[in-house]
Amino acid sequence: MTLIEDLKRIEGEALARIAQTEDLASLDAARVEFLGKKGSLTGVLRGLGALSTEERPAVGKVSNEVRQAIEAAIEERKAMLAQAELAERMSAGAVDVTLPGRKRLPGRAHLISQITAEVVDIFAGLGYQVAEGPEVELAHYNFTALNHPPTHPARAATDTFYVSDAGGSGREGDPESDVLLRTHTSPVQVRVLEQQKPPVYVIVPGRVYRRDIADPSHLPQFHQIEGLAVEEGITFGDLKGTLDHVCRELFGRDRKTRFRPHFFPFTEPSAEVDVSCGICVGSGCRFCKNTGWLEILGCGMVDPNVFGYVDIDPERHVGFAFGMGVERIAALRYDIPDLRMLVEGDMRFLRQF
Amino acid sequence: MLVSMKWLKELVDVTLTVEELVDRLDMTGTAVEGVRSVGEGLSGVVVGAVLEKAPHPDADALSYCTVDVGAAELLKIVCGATNFGAGDKVPVACVGAELPGGLVIKRAKLRGLTSEGMMCSAPELGLGGDASGLLVLPADAPLGVPYAEYAGRADTVIELEVTPNRPDCLSMVGVAREVAAITGKSARPVEIEVSESPEPIESAVSVEIDDPALCPRYTARLITGVRIGPSPEWLADRVTAAGARSVNNIVDITNYVMFELGQPLHAFDAATITRRDDVAAITVRTTREGETLTTLDGQTRTLTSDMLVIADDGGPIALAGVMGGEHTEVSDATVDIVLESACFDAASISTTSRSLGLISEASTRFERGVDPSGCVAALDRAAELMRTLASGTVAAGVVDVYPAPRAERTLTLRPGRLNKVLGTDISAEECATILGSLGLSATSDSPHELTVTVPTYRPDLEREIDLVEEVVRIWGMERVPATLPSGPGRIGRLTGEQRWMRRIDETMRAAGLNETMTYSFVDPSDRERSDTAPPEGETPVWLANPMSEEQAVMRWSLLPGLLRSVSYNQRRGVPDVHLYEIGAIYGAVDGAVLPRERTMVGGVLAGSWSRPGWNAPAAPLDLFDGKGVIEALAIDLGIERMSVRAADLPWLQPGRSAEVLVNGRPAGWLGEVHPLVAERYEADAPVVAFELDTSALIGSARTVKPYREVPRVPAVTLDLALVVDDAVTAERVEQAIRKAGGKLLDEVRLFDVYRGSGIPEGKKSLAWALSYRAEDRTLSDEEVRPVHEKLIRKVSGSVGAEVRG
Repeated sequence: MTLIEDLKRIEGEALARIAQTEDLASLDAARVEFLGKKGSLTGVLRGLGALSTEERPAVGKVSNEVRQAIEAAIEERKAMLAQAELAERMSAGAVDVTLPGRKRLPGRAHLISQITAEVVDIFAGLGYQVAEGPEVELAHYNFTALNHPPTHPARAATDTFYVSDAGGSGREGDPESDVLLRTHTSPVQVRVLEQQKPPVYVIVPGRVYRRDIADPSHLPQFHQIEGLAVEEGITFGDLKGTLDHVCRELFGRDRKTRFRPHFFPFTEPSAEVDVSCGICVGSGCRFCKNTGWLEILGCGMVDPNVFGYVDIDPERHVGFAFGMGVERIAALRYDIPDLRMLVEGDMRFLRQF
Repeated sequence: MLVSMKWLKELVDVTLTVEELVDRLDMTGTAVEGVRSVGEGLSGVVVGAVLEKAPHPDADALSYCTVDVGAAELLKIVCGATNFGAGDKVPVACVGAELPGGLVIKRAKLRGLTSEGMMCSAPELGLGGDASGLLVLPADAPLGVPYAEYAGRADTVIELEVTPNRPDCLSMVGVAREVAAITGKSARPVEIEVSESPEPIESAVSVEIDDPALCPRYTARLITGVRIGPSPEWLADRVTAAGARSVNNIVDITNYVMFELGQPLHAFDAATITRRDDVAAITVRTTREGETLTTLDGQTRTLTSDMLVIADDGGPIALAGVMGGEHTEVSDATVDIVLESACFDAASISTTSRSLGLISEASTRFERGVDPSGCVAALDRAAELMRTLASGTVAAGVVDVYPAPRAERTLTLRPGRLNKVLGTDISAEECATILGSLGLSATSDSPHELTVTVPTYRPDLEREIDLVEEVVRIWGMERVPATLPSGPGRIGRLTGEQRWMRRIDETMRAAGLNETMTYSFVDPSDRERSDTAPPEGETPVWLANPMSEEQAVMRWSLLPGLLRSVSYNQRRGVPDVHLYEIGAIYGAVDGAVLPRERTMVGGVLAGSWSRPGWNAPAAPLDLFDGKGVIEALAIDLGIERMSVRAADLPWLQPGRSAEVLVNGRPAGWLGEVHPLVAERYEADAPVVAFELDTSALIGSARTVKPYREVPRVPAVTLDLALVVDDAVTAERVEQAIRKAGGKLLDEVRLFDVYRGSGIPEGKKSLAWALSYRAEDRTLSDEEVRPVHEKLIRKVSGSVGAEVRG
């Protein structure tokens, strides 16, 4: 048997063996068996030294060809096996993708905050700043400077919460120093105008209080958003345009508004604003009490008497003011059956919005 | 104000449908609160004939009747009235009829007998008249015909919401005037004439007014020889439609004239007024010390000195403008009447009415302002009706005390100014026409000004702006073009503080908490119940007139409200509660008129972050979940130095109770609610809670954070387990490590706390991962090793630590 025949035999054996390997480990074993230091190919080549110089080149050439063929077969087999193993690993790692994910949900903002932020953002876009004021307020700011006469019914202890003894003041004596829980956000109008000369464009969100028994449609505390714009040249038409815009932003492009003349002590002319009912689109339904309209805010031109309290010349400056109830908007937008849900803190309610 | 359409149509032509009129009223400032049909709503009520009236076998007070309503079947009806007999015709509400009070007639068993309908009294049909028995109809009433059709008493009543500035609209003539103005018609005046006897009133009645500021005018008439009796049907129907109860002819007349003209009247039984020289002497004055009065409703009222009364020499006989006295009330025995028609100060009436909790049709009108010019007309109107309807004799003349007659007001309206305020282009002529339609006269001396005379029944029109409002509401607010302010003065932006507040809000939600809002009021007992107290130097803010004892004081902490919400959820099967609230707390401060209001952010956590999942257990929430929220807040706000310090706060569980410091100053607290406090709120412990002062947070928040090099070379991380005394806090060890680490020490992370086998009693092992890093090169082991070893030596020395082997 010649060396060349040996080499050919080894090649044949090796290729057959490689083709039979089932995994990378047995493939490696095969590599060692044929190509390793003690491998059969290496063993055959060890006999190379005994050959004559004439024979050597031919045998050397064949041995290189055999080695290359085996190595190529190993590489090819290796790639194939690796791919198969990866496929197997992946198949073993397959999951039911319909299983629920791992999550920590972010919390939700309270409905009242969401609406407030929305309204504030609308007005920020119209060039308004946000003003704030105390919830525990002087009667002067809550009533007197807003042109409420001393006997105005809203001042009565049946309607307004009074603070019994804050720093020695109380209901006795000078009614101007009475301390109360503000019944609207309007006192901030006066506080702003005391501190800032026109032009003034402010929006005032805040908590207010009235002596209503908590029931599905009333809470003794609720939230209002007040607006005030004072500048030379402002008109009632500007008030209309502003509130038209806001109502459409809040309730939808297709909604209409209407202004009904009304009376408020601190604005004149005054109006209540209705937005067309979104349920019946104006034809009348139970939701809008068959009127086709839903009342959403009160507004008007700042009464000259209010300007008088803050030393602004009503001949020169004109202003408008408006106020809306946030709970009312929430109830209208989400058809909430009972306002008390807003103060109960029920997670199942809070997480809905 | 209830307005009968039938009545209104006598005073003004109404060509609009009721719906159109309602809409027009709404759009011109008189809101319509409701529309009610009287009579027309009586479907199912027909004229019936009683064929048989038998006693009810089981009830003496009831009868069992057979009634023919013109239908195929005769009806069997149980009835409680007694004023009828077989053969009488009566209105019968058949099964299915709905009466004005909302009562739906059903087949019903009454004491064992089935009743197939109801025979009705006049009030049951929403009409005026006698409630004590059935409304017996004339014998010729046609059988089976709908009652309303037969009687012609159908009417529509509109309920108006009259705003406080419009006292004139609390009368039918006022409403008619308004309707005329808004529909372009003219109102028909009420013709008033009175036939007097020759006997002069002065010999019988005198009036004095103590303080004309409180009573600008008092007028009176004397009507003698009246016969008290039921009102005619038309009068009873009118006062019923207007919302009053028909009482008798005299009372009904005074109410009728009040509804018609807006002037409240009061009828005194002349015989009961104390005489002075044979004259019934009336004084209008304020109350004297200790005086009382029993009013018409039978209540004896203690009067205070600011109240205005009508008095005779014996004392008060009526509470001026609010309610009459029982002693001088008109009764069936009354013969002579002193009729009062006066004008009282609005503020005084309002105060009296409210302080006594006594609100009447009269006080409602007086407190808005009654026109003194109308007193005598009302008196004449009522006196003439008493003459014709109650056979009275009207004494000659009127007692009229009117020291300072009110003049008509004259105002100037500049159409230019009007258009400038409204953003319109309404001509001076149009303004004049509109004002004219409202009964004001407008004349122009110059093209730029109108001189406007205001009748005394419109006390609300005092200034030019009041006229602007009148013009725009009639001209039509819907016609004002909608524009946006075009001035340069608008820069919309949140202040820095407001933006930080939003950031706090966002961080709370990102941390998994849901926003809630609780009541600003708490129960005074929350003080003991929650073991919380207002901050030092502050006391709770008490309400003088709370809705209830449970809401009598303003909160000094967000905790009680939040604990109630925890309990609310847990009691309803919601075990995982993650809530936060941003809101004010209130504290009275000595010497300050207004209390201090602080905006706090508070949170509560109970249960787990979520229910157990297929791949995630439900780890119970503890203090460190709360602390994580606070740490996230500090990072998000860029607060460098926020720390917590163990502190014994009574509302928190000892050992799980801490103060939160920002830049070394107290900013709030954090911990697990004391189990006993939780129990008192029916909340299941543990409840993690915290409350922080937002101003302390915002005060240390950083708007601009400096850029720091992002590491470009890898760090060498070495672990170090240190055994220290239990009392040594992690914070202290970390500080020691950072101090000893030098500038190569980059990150320090505590990854394990261990007590137990291998660790001596009273000690714990804290395991740290320390990352060393140089900015410019990869550190070698040889470089780090000596630094690390030096750190171990220093830390061991400063906190008494031993390296765990």
